[in-house]
Amino acid sequence: MLEVRDLVTVYGAIEALKGVTLSAKQGEITCILGPNGAGKTTLMYSIAGILKPRSGSVSVNGREITGSSAPYALACGIALVPENRLVFPSMSVEENLRAGAFRRLRGDRSAVLEDIDKAYVRFPSLKRRRDQAAGTLSGGEQQMLAVARAMMSRPNILMMDEPSLGLAPLVVSEVFSIISQLNKEGVSILLVEQNAHKALQIASHVYLLDQGRVAFSGTPGDIGEDDIIQRAYLGSKAA
Amino acid sequence: MSEYAISIASNMGMIAFVALSAYVVLVVGEISFGQQAYFGIGAYVSGMATAMWGWPFGFALVLGSCVAAIAAFAVGALTLRLRGLYFAIATLCFAEMIRLGLNSIHVQVEIDGEPVGPDGAEGFGDIRWMFEHDVTTLEYMFIIYALLGAVLVVLLLVERSNLGAVIRMIGQDPLLARSQGIDVGTCKLLVIVFSGMIAGLGGCLYAHFATYIEPNVFNVMLGVHALAYGLIGGLGTALGPIIGVVLDIGFLEGVRAIQGYRMIAFGGLVAILLIIMPRGILDEVRIHHIKRWLRRQ
Repeated sequence: MLEVRDLVTVYGAIEALKGVTLSAKQGEITCILGPNGAGKTTLMYSIAGILKPRSGSVSVNGREITGSSAPYALACGIALVPENRLVFPSMSVEENLRAGAFRRLRGDRSAVLEDIDKAYVRFPSLKRRRDQAAGTLSGGEQQMLAVARAMMSRPNILMMDEPSLGLAPLVVSEVFSIISQLNKEGVSILLVEQNAHKALQIASHVYLLDQGRVAFSGTPGDIGEDDIIQRAYLGSKAA
Repeated sequence: MSEYAISIASNMGMIAFVALSAYVVLVVGEISFGQQAYFGIGAYVSGMATAMWGWPFGFALVLGSCVAAIAAFAVGALTLRLRGLYFAIATLCFAEMIRLGLNSIHVQVEIDGEPVGPDGAEGFGDIRWMFEHDVTTLEYMFIIYALLGAVLVVLLLVERSNLGAVIRMIGQDPLLARSQGIDVGTCKLLVIVFSGMIAGLGGCLYAHFATYIEPNVFNVMLGVHALAYGLIGGLGTALGPIIGVVLDIGFLEGVRAIQGYRMIAFGGLVAILLIIMPRGILDEVRIHHIKRWLRRQ
């Protein structure tokens, strides 16, 4: 279980997170919605150890990881698929997969190779393109590769920043079905999305982030009943 | 081999050190306009060691490259947070500081009634190790190429290793690399220190080959050329910058008929390659194809 308490992260004089408290329960899909500039990406970076928060705490299964380095966060089972920068473009698909497990390569190389084979079973299209430069894959395939690479570190919690960004509707559906599938296999998911409609279909808990604060917390059902939230953030009354 | 051919070949070998040092920084994703400073530091320090203090050549090489590496560590630690243009400007400023600093350094000792040592803008002559030890230019060329070969082997081995993959990951996307759990700062610093060491070693060799050095040898054009060699030859392998050096010095300068047009041809070559092969002749993708082809054979 990932717990974030009163997290404050600043860029110079700008407070991007003004005290965010939320948790992602083991085995669930937790979704964070919010408009542009709400602090969603900042939150992910702060959890993953890429940004150092000014105050507050982040813990995984009771273990404090606030302000630790990115390698430590990864070692604690947190993997991040950043928004829009999915793959190392001039490295091959296979090299990208190995990159996701590079911290394990020295220890159990054979286990890593096994995991690569598993990734190919899950994503057959990646296997066909294993020697191809990752930058030449389609947007959807790059997103698949990014997920597969993140899974190479055997994470407990997979954080995904806007996985549907810039993808065709059909591919978006595929990505979301993969997210649910991974979740069924026991990986907790922390999902940031602008595509609220899709995200609400698979989420078990939803947070709404606005201007660095949590504006709403509840189940997707709760959001459906909240008229103000519906109109202010989701645009239409979908439910 | 004629003296002329030996001097061209030796020049290629020594400049290759600067080219390789600029290359490793390019691979980690930054552009340094200051690698000539490490070359200069290596040249001055090792020259002082043999000419003024009477050190053996081998120890002078070690000292020169270590001092250059320490300078690179200082620069790297200070510029770690800088990216892109800002890193480039910072390294350029540092290199100019060193060059201007060398202009005002006067440390001389009297040897056989003659003052020996750096004399500001007047330069630093009488680095006579080669004459004193009866080393012919041909023998010296072999020393250069043996050391260059050793550096190349190290670089090629690193490129095949995990560390090499990590360095390329940082070069392509530092943030994504960090989210794979890579300590980007430490790796970058390591690369910068190593780059300083390579350039410093080249500088040591240069000082003892030229026997006379002056601060203006280590001006920014040397650094610009060093960058250009990597960009011409390709950023996919350490052999890339070597190709750049051979094309420029070996071909444009070495072939007497076209000698006068060297800079024009070189500038044109850089411009054309940047358009049609932005990451050089042997770029990552081509190297990848070559490796796959070799594996199939």
